[in-house]
Amino acid sequence: MNRWDERRGREAIMPKLSRSDWYDLSRDTNWTFRYVTEEAAFPEELSGSHRIPSEGWLRWDEPYKISYREYVHNQVTKDTTTYSLKNAVGRSKLFDQLDPGWKSVILAHYGAITMPEFLASIGEARMARFGRAAAWRNTATFGALDEMRHGQIQAFFPYGLLDKEPRADWALKAFHTDNWVVLAVRHLFDDMFLANDAVSMALQLTFTFETGFTNLQFLGMAADAMDVGDLEFGALISSIQTDEARHSQQGEPTIKVLIENGHKKWGQFLIDHMFWRSWRAFAVLTGLSMDYYTPLESRRMSFKEFIEDWVIKQFAEQFHDFGLDRPWYWEEFIRELSWYHHAIHLGVWTYRPTVWWNPDAGASAAERAWLEEKYPGWNDTFGRNWDVIQDNLRKGEVAATFPETLPLMCNLCQIPIVRPAGVTAGALDSPAPLRHTYEGRTYLFCSEPCKWIFTSRPERFAGHKSLIDRLLGGDITPPDLGGVLRYMGLSEAEQGRDATGYDWAR
Amino acid sequence: MALLPLSASFRGDIAVLLVLVDDQDTAEVVGRKIAVHVAGRRAPAGSGPVRVRHEGRILPAGQRVGEAGLSPLDYVEAFFDER
Repeated sequence: MNRWDERRGREAIMPKLSRSDWYDLSRDTNWTFRYVTEEAAFPEELSGSHRIPSEGWLRWDEPYKISYREYVHNQVTKDTTTYSLKNAVGRSKLFDQLDPGWKSVILAHYGAITMPEFLASIGEARMARFGRAAAWRNTATFGALDEMRHGQIQAFFPYGLLDKEPRADWALKAFHTDNWVVLAVRHLFDDMFLANDAVSMALQLTFTFETGFTNLQFLGMAADAMDVGDLEFGALISSIQTDEARHSQQGEPTIKVLIENGHKKWGQFLIDHMFWRSWRAFAVLTGLSMDYYTPLESRRMSFKEFIEDWVIKQFAEQFHDFGLDRPWYWEEFIRELSWYHHAIHLGVWTYRPTVWWNPDAGASAAERAWLEEKYPGWNDTFGRNWDVIQDNLRKGEVAATFPETLPLMCNLCQIPIVRPAGVTAGALDSPAPLRHTYEGRTYLFCSEPCKWIFTSRPERFAGHKSLIDRLLGGDITPPDLGGVLRYMGLSEAEQGRDATGYDWAR
Repeated sequence: MALLPLSASFRGDIAVLLVLVDDQDTAEVVGRKIAVHVAGRRAPAGSGPVRVRHEGRILPAGQRVGEAGLSPLDYVEAFFDER
């Protein structure tokens, strides 16, 4: 309560401090431990911070500052706007009118991303508890609240689509299955945050994955959504992106502290590790969306141009700003921009019954012309594979376009090994998977960086079984494609079909 | 007679596939078992015999793969020999 001002005859207004006057004091609620050691309060397995003494962490300072009051105000405004728009759009026929390829974009997104967003709140909460700087714990607390919101909003929006598209249910269902896409996504996010310490997470989740990839991708996706007329998804993604832009900044001060204290090499290792894994995930989810699923008239740039403009130019420049080097596999990464996601797309389309969305071939004459323009030589490489598929469809031999066996999966990224396409594209010398034997078990890899990530810390990854390991080990019965589809949780109605009913091939 | 799972690709295709063969199968049979997943499906059907390469060596058509030293998940590449 304010005191009564006798002279003015009303309550005295206390002068308000500006945020900068009190922010640091209220944020830096550190204390000296007397009953436990600092090592016990911040176990290294969860904190990952003991390379650097306590005083080193005092310089941690987030670039973007916000108070709790401001945070709540912002989030309420965002939620009110986004949910209102959803309510309005939900009563329209907007979803029915969307391009079938775009529907696949959002179905794939909801299944692969909703639960990881929720699980990321556990990662953020771990930083909020085990980050060594009070400032960091404060920022991560907002991050944990952000990710809870993202999990909830991305479960609720597809729930509103259920009467139009029952597979929107995969926003919740996907992570409770052993679908191959989910195995890959789960492996990635377990590595990135669920089974990670606070420091590694700051560098791998917030700096590499969010600053380097998702923050930018969400901007592009929101713009694409508006362009195709999906106002609901556009508003949703925009509201998430603004949160990401804030909490992703935990990485920058963390890497500064590491470098200032002589641990650049460790930071470089963590970033190199997760940059490759982020690239793999993006090639599968965003590569297919941008170059094949998004309707031709709404494509602003190719996936390769997007990565070049946003990831290579903008994010990689930050490597230099911090005195970091580009990852050692940079040349391989650049070469993959021209072929890797095209191979994965052909694979996902061929194995369409194994995914919960309808893959859009994106190989009509006009789309092929666009692909050839963006990826010179596409017609002579991937175009030839599509020619054979198209011939079969024109002859009515649809069965020949379905698979009868599984592809080998990489024991690190859990994505099909597509090295033969790299040879055809002139980017690789050998189609053979890379091999490594650890404690009597042989592991297969799709690439040198995936093998390097595994062999750098084999005890971290060795226990995991790929889909192929499970099939050969008797976990999937019967061991045929029907058994595999059941194992993946896909009923016939849920299995993916060609998005346009093969219109593109006619 | 024993099941032998191989990692295999057919030249012109995109992916490495799991192909189940028998260790008593000849290289010619193994080549056909790989080709059936690719030739005429994602790569053009060819006219010549199918050859199988293992660790840089083209296996004789009549050689049994068990005797050629192939182990589970060894990689082989098959291709049409159109000479």
